[in-house]
Amino acid sequence: MIRIKNLHLFYQTERGRVHAVRGIDVDIQQGQFFTLLGPSGCGKTTTLRSVAGLEMPEQGQIFVGDDLVFSSTEKTFVPPYDRDIGMVFQSYAIWPHLNVFENVAFPLREMRRKFSRRQIGDKVAHALALVQLEGLADRPAPFLSGGQQQRLALARAIVKEPRVLLLDEPLSNLDAKLREETRFELRELVKRLGITTLYVTHDQLEALTMSDTVAIMDQGRIVQQGTPVEIYQAPREKFVANFIGLTNFLEGQVASAGTSVAGIGEVMTASGKLHCVLPDGMAAGEKVIVVIRPEDINIVADAAPAADNVLRGKVDALIFMGDALECQLSVGAQKLRTKLHPASPVRQGQTVLLQLPAESCRALRA
Amino acid sequence: MFSLRLNLWQHGIFLLVLALVSLPLGFLILGSFSTARLPGDFSLDTMGLVNYIKVYTDPGTYELFTNTCIYVTGSVLLGISMAVTLAWLVERTNMPGKIWIYAGVPMTLAVPGMLQAMAWVILLSPRIGFINKSLQSLFNLDEPLIDIYSLGGMVFLEGLRLVPTAFLMLVPLMRGMDPSLEEAAAVSGARPFSTLRKITLRLLAPGLVAVMIYQAMTALEVFEIPGILGLPAGIHVFSTKIYAIVRSATFLPVYGQANALAMVYLFIAVVTTFFYTRLISRGERFTIITGKAYRPRQFDLGQWRFAALGFVVLYLFLAILLPFLAFAYASFLAFLQPPSLEAFRGFTLKNYRFLAQYGEVASALKNTVVMVVVTATMTVALSFFVSLVIVRSKFWGRKLLDQLAFMPHAIPGIVLGIAFFWVFLKIDFLPIYGTVWAISIGFTVSFLSYGTRSMSASLLQVHKELEEAAYVSGARPWRTMRRVFLPLMMPTLVGIWIWVVLHAVRIAGLPLILYEGQQNQVLSILIWNMWDEGYVPAVAAIGTLLMLTLLFLTLLVRYVGFRRQIVQPPLV
Repeated sequence: MIRIKNLHLFYQTERGRVHAVRGIDVDIQQGQFFTLLGPSGCGKTTTLRSVAGLEMPEQGQIFVGDDLVFSSTEKTFVPPYDRDIGMVFQSYAIWPHLNVFENVAFPLREMRRKFSRRQIGDKVAHALALVQLEGLADRPAPFLSGGQQQRLALARAIVKEPRVLLLDEPLSNLDAKLREETRFELRELVKRLGITTLYVTHDQLEALTMSDTVAIMDQGRIVQQGTPVEIYQAPREKFVANFIGLTNFLEGQVASAGTSVAGIGEVMTASGKLHCVLPDGMAAGEKVIVVIRPEDINIVADAAPAADNVLRGKVDALIFMGDALECQLSVGAQKLRTKLHPASPVRQGQTVLLQLPAESCRALRA
Repeated sequence: MFSLRLNLWQHGIFLLVLALVSLPLGFLILGSFSTARLPGDFSLDTMGLVNYIKVYTDPGTYELFTNTCIYVTGSVLLGISMAVTLAWLVERTNMPGKIWIYAGVPMTLAVPGMLQAMAWVILLSPRIGFINKSLQSLFNLDEPLIDIYSLGGMVFLEGLRLVPTAFLMLVPLMRGMDPSLEEAAAVSGARPFSTLRKITLRLLAPGLVAVMIYQAMTALEVFEIPGILGLPAGIHVFSTKIYAIVRSATFLPVYGQANALAMVYLFIAVVTTFFYTRLISRGERFTIITGKAYRPRQFDLGQWRFAALGFVVLYLFLAILLPFLAFAYASFLAFLQPPSLEAFRGFTLKNYRFLAQYGEVASALKNTVVMVVVTATMTVALSFFVSLVIVRSKFWGRKLLDQLAFMPHAIPGIVLGIAFFWVFLKIDFLPIYGTVWAISIGFTVSFLSYGTRSMSASLLQVHKELEEAAYVSGARPWRTMRRVFLPLMMPTLVGIWIWVVLHAVRIAGLPLILYEGQQNQVLSILIWNMWDEGYVPAVAAIGTLLMLTLLFLTLLVRYVGFRRQIVQPPLV
């Protein structure tokens, strides 16, 4: 439904040209909820704005549906007002001189097809009902709360039933509690309407909970793309592992590329030998970084001294987090963090045995 | 993406502003070296330092410096101390009736300086002043007690006139001060007085200095007050001296000398503006406005609350009510006399009838309407496009354009008048000199800095996403302009338009220089001339009507300004 091919975009700044988007390729299926996730300045919003037609890319192609809306080779540029899109801006961009009804009716009044007053009334009422703003139609737009403005912006974006919905950090201006509720509602709504959605955020929780597919961006490129589960559990680069969730990193060297279990190899680290999931085509001697999530590390009462992936560590600090107990350990010079049940009997200063399941240890090329 | 197409008009705007600012300045500088007596005879062959030598060896010039210094310093000190007191009273104490002060003090801006000075002459001149006459008969004195035609009179009146602007600049400073800064000093063991000295005043200092410099510039540039109060007594300050050289009744004017004198005036103005802008940008580091909602602690005045109210009422009485009453009263008199039962009995409408019949009034009124409408429209249009380039485009010269548009701010109206006088006489192939257009063009340039500043600030507030939201909602550029951009900008456009009207009507300096005869005589010149010729009651009648009109317009501006606050996009 949205296809972006080899997109490049430059910005002219005071300090010269900045290569903001460096060859993005994306293919979003009909009805999919697709998220661009990355730190600020990674080019995600610029990519979204290129789809909207608010930026002029240097190179590449963009399709919305079957329509070619931008192509550098064919010199095609469809202006934003002729693209079949709806968009929610980070600031919401609610027009303060219009009331709620007129804000939502605006896109309908700008369409080539002319609607009767009755039709406009019905469509606006329907859109407002979808976002639960019934009864506020006559309210001047500035007299809305942050959450109401966000929903108004959404109603305006979907009122003409566009094929594609573009959302630019729509939740970042809401407070934490409201953001959590809205996440679910928003996904539910676009899924019910079946609109293909391109979502941009820097919040990993939003990306993981709402998306069908997440693309992690860094410095103008997509680093990894996949389902939220894949992204979280099988990061392919250190940047991804670091950006999503808390992670332990252990530096090491491949000791042997294959073991009896398929895909598992041996890595020598400063804390001892670990069995890890190795990327394809690794050879012994290559430098790697072993990544393991805190919640995947188990503290075991006792284990055979020679058992695989068992390390001896000392508890440096315990931090009570309410739903979990974060445990900071040192294994030799290496620092590790694990998450324990809050009722866990571990004490500070205690020496414990840590078990790192081989399938949860992922070695990445350093 | 749309900017490529706009490049041509951006260059056009740039060149236009460049011409409007640098042409008059260039002629001003060249003219100061011209040895020809008249601008029309100017040529590059007759250049020399004669004017400079003549002006700066004249002992009168040093008296001029001294007078100007006393006048500026005195009025700034008086004005600022009143404004600080007023601002402190309304912001940081529990005095009663604050809402009336917020409403009343800015109203004093509506009274033109020229009229205020004239009203005070009616009240305090040694010969006809009502107050002087009453005091004389009360105490049986031979000599009048107060002479308004003096440096003291100028200081008093200009001091009063500086109050509203200074007040409006100081209120946000006082309001923006986070009380926790003072509370932190208190819990660190500082007593109230040392908190005031070490924290409050230190925090206020940069802002206060900036306000003082700004006000000193205003006092330096004002022509009307020294023109009405100083000229008749031969007490000159810079602005009146330059006027006197050009518009001397007794000897043939030497325009080059006016230019030479204007140079030092211009120099002072440019240097202070430079320091002022430096101070403002440095002051931003001192910014203490945190955007948090808090109520500053209020100082309990106790019984002094009513004394404070009395002070405020006295100020408002002196600044608006008394001059207005004096004018209104004088406008009904057949001849000037102090208020008495007899005088009230002799009230007549003949001055108003005279206005209706006197041909020059009708033509001046027509000229004024044309002049202010043209000036306001040109200023709004030009500032709009200039700000559009400055704020919204990627035009290479936008910073330079910003500075060019700000430059006229440093040029006193009288000097700008002289500069344009040279331009219009030199480019005589365009029949501008002697028309209302001459005045309109001069004013447009002089209001350009205000126009672009407010316009840019307002444009910055119209978040770009508001327009982008219209594009992605399917609106074409001109529809976006009409349905989103213009409605959002409208309060600003109207606000600037009315502001320009208000100022163009009452400023007399620049029109007096460019005035040539009845065909470009505007209201301010007519009043000036009638006053000069001694038609005091008739002037009072025009003045009364003008004050009422300006008061109405000022209220309108306040209303528009109020609307604007509602319309601001509330970004979360």
